[in-house]
Amino acid sequence: MTQKAERTSGFYSFINNTNTVGYVFAFPFIFGFICFSFIPIVTSFYYSFTDYSMGSKTLTYVGFKNFIDLFSDEVFIKSLGITLKYVLLSVPLKLAFALLVAFVLTRKSSMVTLYRSLYYVPSLVGGSVAVALVWKQLFARKGLFNVVLSDMGLKTINWFGDQKLALYPLILMTVWQFGSSMIIFAAGLKEIPSTYYEAARIDGANGRQTFFKITLPCLSPIILYNLVMQTIQAFMSFTQAFVITQGGPNNGTLLYALNVYNQAFKYNHMGYACAMSWFMLVVMSIITLVIFKSSKFWVFSEGGDE
Amino acid sequence: MMKKFLATLLSVSIVAGMIGCAGGSAQPAATAEPAAEEAKEEVKEEQEAEPEEEEEEAAEAEESSEEPITLRMAWWGSQTRHDITAEVIEMYEKENPNVKIEYEFYDFDSYFTKLKTLVASDQVWDIFQLGGNFPEYIDKIYYINEFIDSGVVDTSKISDAYLKITQDTEGNQIGLSNGLNTYGIAYDVDMFKEAGVPLPTDTWTWDDFADAAMKIHEHTGNFGSSGFTSSEFIAGCSTYIAQQGSVGENSFFNLELDGMGFEDAQMLTPYIEMRANLIKEGASPDAGAEMEITDIENDFLVTGEAAMTWVAVNQFPTIYDICAEEGRTLALATVPRVKSDGPSGTVIQSSQMLCVSQDSQYKEEAAKFISWFQNSVDCNNVLKGERGIPINDDVRTALEAEATDGQKEMYDYVSLVGTFETPEKINVLSPAGQDEVVDNYRNYIQQVVAGEITAEEAADKTYADAEKLFE
Repeated sequence: MTQKAERTSGFYSFINNTNTVGYVFAFPFIFGFICFSFIPIVTSFYYSFTDYSMGSKTLTYVGFKNFIDLFSDEVFIKSLGITLKYVLLSVPLKLAFALLVAFVLTRKSSMVTLYRSLYYVPSLVGGSVAVALVWKQLFARKGLFNVVLSDMGLKTINWFGDQKLALYPLILMTVWQFGSSMIIFAAGLKEIPSTYYEAARIDGANGRQTFFKITLPCLSPIILYNLVMQTIQAFMSFTQAFVITQGGPNNGTLLYALNVYNQAFKYNHMGYACAMSWFMLVVMSIITLVIFKSSKFWVFSEGGDE
Repeated sequence: MMKKFLATLLSVSIVAGMIGCAGGSAQPAATAEPAAEEAKEEVKEEQEAEPEEEEEEAAEAEESSEEPITLRMAWWGSQTRHDITAEVIEMYEKENPNVKIEYEFYDFDSYFTKLKTLVASDQVWDIFQLGGNFPEYIDKIYYINEFIDSGVVDTSKISDAYLKITQDTEGNQIGLSNGLNTYGIAYDVDMFKEAGVPLPTDTWTWDDFADAAMKIHEHTGNFGSSGFTSSEFIAGCSTYIAQQGSVGENSFFNLELDGMGFEDAQMLTPYIEMRANLIKEGASPDAGAEMEITDIENDFLVTGEAAMTWVAVNQFPTIYDICAEEGRTLALATVPRVKSDGPSGTVIQSSQMLCVSQDSQYKEEAAKFISWFQNSVDCNNVLKGERGIPINDDVRTALEAEATDGQKEMYDYVSLVGTFETPEKINVLSPAGQDEVVDNYRNYIQQVVAGEITAEEAADKTYADAEKLFE
């Protein structure tokens, strides 16, 4: 009897309500999102209209000054250019590499899992400071690459001393971390019905034709997904530039995120750095939008028609 | 199936991407670095602190009346400094069982990045190290005058002149100087002889310096002079201005630190041109090679790849000893002058000081530690003047008696610089925001090397950047 009473009471039905249960379980995320993402995002928006700096803690409203100043800031414009170059080179290379390896590793062999794990390792350790330090050593004046070059009788290359070259080791490092896109590609490849390939083989298509006529079109939605994800990630790259080159030589590797960091924490222009972050948000939104709009021309949908 | 999978992925990706970019670029990326370092520190501290704790407990039982106090302390420097400072902290903890000192150490740049985040969150270490850039952090410094008056900080063996070097214009004692210091050029004697270049004299000029660097590079293939270490802007660029005109006529920033101390930007041009030329010819490391220098102990002079480098002289005994182990002899030369009979531009100043923080809960305890750090002969026998020549008379006498060759060279050098004519009033402080000016200045030199701009333009731009600090 008492049980029945409880069951009808407001509290009991409240606690058993699907919505309540949902919110309770989602609470850790909601809490984290509000504290560590939502509040900082809102505050950074507010700061971007002020001259806030961490050192002196003064705060004056300056309107759009920070955003206007961006366009007369040489270093900012250079870093924006460098970042675009970095994204344009590293993302396609990384995706091509990931697709190639994923494609090679679709064959049925007991070693495939092992290889897949091996190729995934760089992505696991990739963002870390340790790997960046190793990279710095590899490309140093007397690092492994130059030792090999001089042993072969070739001229050594001053990778980090030349502002035109310095970005490439960083791009290479990003491309090397192709693991996560590779796994997604591998999953996508498995989804392509084998009947398509059988039919093509019967029609006499060779390997190249099946790849370009069947594999690529069927995989195009996955490519779109990877492209968007990797582009966003590439715009946010920070560790390599911070650890390996500190943005040098002559700001030749000053990636956007590193520039934001310098302005915020090294030069004490937090407000300006926030404005830079918001500008980047706009740039990235536009680029993502362009990718999505362009997708209807190259993404093949199995539903077929619209 | 595929479509659904894709739709989910895409929607997740957009949300994640947007959040990631907005918050991410400003916040997490930046805090990741110091946090990682902090974690490392903590592990280190724990390892070192464990054996200590047992003794502490035993001792605490005896004097249970005193409440346990934890002080936080931080400094920047090279490995040698980290080791000896950790050692004296242990000594202090043994003498004062109720005090536990948690310490952190960084290289110069990371130290100030971390400090800025702590300033923002009002959690500056109880005891922290500052140099000539203290004006930027003046709000966080607790003046120690009251502790000197009450006798907590013992200044009986420190002369007024030495106290003054860490006072502001109103007589507030900002901290106690860890040591006297000045800039110089450390060089490898044998490399000079090998290349047949005359050794530097007390009145050598920048032309002599550039000649020596070039000749040594041609003869030995080594760098004539090492790169832009943290000393270069002050010891080179800024000193170059002070060397022009009559003594005290020019200085990079003015005495009040509210404007420039010179008017013609082109006064910088010859210096920038010389630096750029040396890099172009390979007689000085380019930006890539410079990145390999992480602190003074792996400077190219120390690794045997350069004949000269800039030093704050307190760094000299350390690198002298390292090179002596390899059978190489280092010596100290004065900073070159514009004219051999012109002003030297160099002055004796405080190397750095320990300050008490406004955020500290135990200001008196922090001041007590600083007093001990400055005045204890035992403590300084371990520190060995690595932070500069001690200002306490007893300590200085004790150290001079046991000075190693490298330290003797340093003492002699500082006395020599003491004999140079100096202006009545000097300003060795850096205004807030100088970091950006220095970074840009280095980039301008690289642009001159790459032929993108001329030395004249680089001088104008550097001047304009510096001027902007005072707007």
